[in-house]
Amino acid sequence: MATEIRITAEPIDNQRCKFVLNVPVLAGGVRRFTAPDEAKGSPLAEAIFAIPGLAVSELIVSGNIITVVKQSSAPWQAVGKPVGVAIRTALASDVPPVAVSPKPSGAVNDDALYEQVAKVFDEQVNPMVARHGGRVELIDVQDAVVMLRMGGGCQGCGMADVTLRQGIEGMLSQLVPAVRGIVDITDHTSGANPYFQAAKK
Amino acid sequence: MLPTTSYRTAAFVEAARQIGVELTVASEQPSTLEAANPAGLLTLDFQSPERAADDVHVFARKQPIQGVVGVDDDTAIVAAFIAERLKLKGNPTHAAEAARDKHRQRQMLADARVPIPRFELHMLSEDSAEIAKTIRYPCVVKPLRLSASRGVIRADNPQAFIRAHGRLKTILAQPKAAACGEPAWHYLIEEFIPGYEVALEGLVVNRRLHVLALFDKPDPLDGPFFEETIYLTPSTVPAGLQAAITQCAERAVRALGITEGPVHAELRYNENGPWLIELAARPIGGRCSAVLRFGEGESGKGVTLEQIILRHALGMALPSLQRERLAAGVMMIPIPGAGTLQEVRGLAEAKGVPLIEDVQITAHRGERLVPFPEGSRYPGFIFARGETPSAVEVALRAAHRKLTFELIP
Repeated sequence: MATEIRITAEPIDNQRCKFVLNVPVLAGGVRRFTAPDEAKGSPLAEAIFAIPGLAVSELIVSGNIITVVKQSSAPWQAVGKPVGVAIRTALASDVPPVAVSPKPSGAVNDDALYEQVAKVFDEQVNPMVARHGGRVELIDVQDAVVMLRMGGGCQGCGMADVTLRQGIEGMLSQLVPAVRGIVDITDHTSGANPYFQAAKK
Repeated sequence: MLPTTSYRTAAFVEAARQIGVELTVASEQPSTLEAANPAGLLTLDFQSPERAADDVHVFARKQPIQGVVGVDDDTAIVAAFIAERLKLKGNPTHAAEAARDKHRQRQMLADARVPIPRFELHMLSEDSAEIAKTIRYPCVVKPLRLSASRGVIRADNPQAFIRAHGRLKTILAQPKAAACGEPAWHYLIEEFIPGYEVALEGLVVNRRLHVLALFDKPDPLDGPFFEETIYLTPSTVPAGLQAAITQCAERAVRALGITEGPVHAELRYNENGPWLIELAARPIGGRCSAVLRFGEGESGKGVTLEQIILRHALGMALPSLQRERLAAGVMMIPIPGAGTLQEVRGLAEAKGVPLIEDVQITAHRGERLVPFPEGSRYPGFIFARGETPSAVEVALRAAHRKLTFELIP
């Protein structure tokens, strides 16, 4: 009997939403799509880009998480269901929902960038965040965009955005200037031991 | 200035990116990456505003600062000291301090004849049984410094007052509460004002209060504890009364000497008109600001409260301060009981309720939840947007009913 697919939509804001599945979509690595052309050969991405009126500008697939970035101003409550249908349809097919990452082409060498970013994470970032029981995992580099996941004390930490934007982003802009952006694919709501916790004031 | 306990970190960091300004984040504890980005990360002693201002003065010689924003009660004072020292836009330090100190605030409001509850200042060390004989009931005991209605307790008779006093004394003896020093030795006894409560979110620009939103609080806040739940905007209070509420808040802003920046006020109204209950020189707390969107913005998505606050502090042109057409609301999820959180069920179902935009569970698995009045940390927030405030309220309550919190006592 086929596993029942459960999908939880977790809007980050009105433009970005994580769809968390109970089954893996892409085992190992990350795929990022920024245009319908890039989605060709990946039925899941093709279907989501094709949803009328959603105006998807970015799609990131990692493990059991699909992050959708849209330009439409419609609330996720209204447009989440077609995304769910697209995901279910793609997973029901015999074809892999997401094709493996193509080899890098053009001027950006993601493999070389990966090595440089990994070195910065290993030698500088992680020894520092470890002081708060945290860690930052490099998931992938695609089109010079770094995908990372935070863990330990960083996952769900009230200052995670500061660590990311004021710390890691600044370090990478100096040390690996070819990096064009950072995407945090952490499920911060699942952090069980955040270093800093918020309180209403 | 973003305390490590702030819910608003992501919102302010994102707002700075959106408007394209360089940010230096100051917190009371060092970031692990401070050494790697000394221009963007700074540690300040928020309990010592003058020292913090000195430190920023030195910092600014190398990294020029053009605006300063505090996001909570403590950092609003620090921001005022820094603004004064660096000659930046901000409140006078005496105004920021008056807004922070509940007793001083009430003295100044009373002097200016702003309608506020009768109040008395007492020391916790005084004999509660003796005080109980002399005060009027119902009353509310209130700490001077705690936030989010923590430690605020209504008492209807002498026995209830003595119990409330004992509970407050225990709360204020806890290390974090006691750390503020002398204010933790005192408390207020206030007249309980019956009535409907609203919250006013505003921006003061050159001494003039601009109302950004007026929120209804449809759940009665009659005590004995004062846990907030739902905020809805636009308010359904009649227009004439809204004008009176705004005037009351304007008088309070003038009385305290607030000249610039965000204000958040809690008011009640009854047959005697509006009453000012609290006023803070900071924006709305928690993650509640996520329900506010203004104008249409460059992208047509509207701008956030945080963008407006940063723009104002930097002297940039302000966008429209007119809130969007749709009604919006937020529920601070009530603390479900005392215990260690194991699991939250029904999240997907709650998010699937029509008009619900998001449900954010901010408590983490294994976290100890403490009910009011000892606790004050809500387990999460529910956000909704719709055509009418009543539709939004229905959606918030329906979403909340879908959630189940599993706790171990």
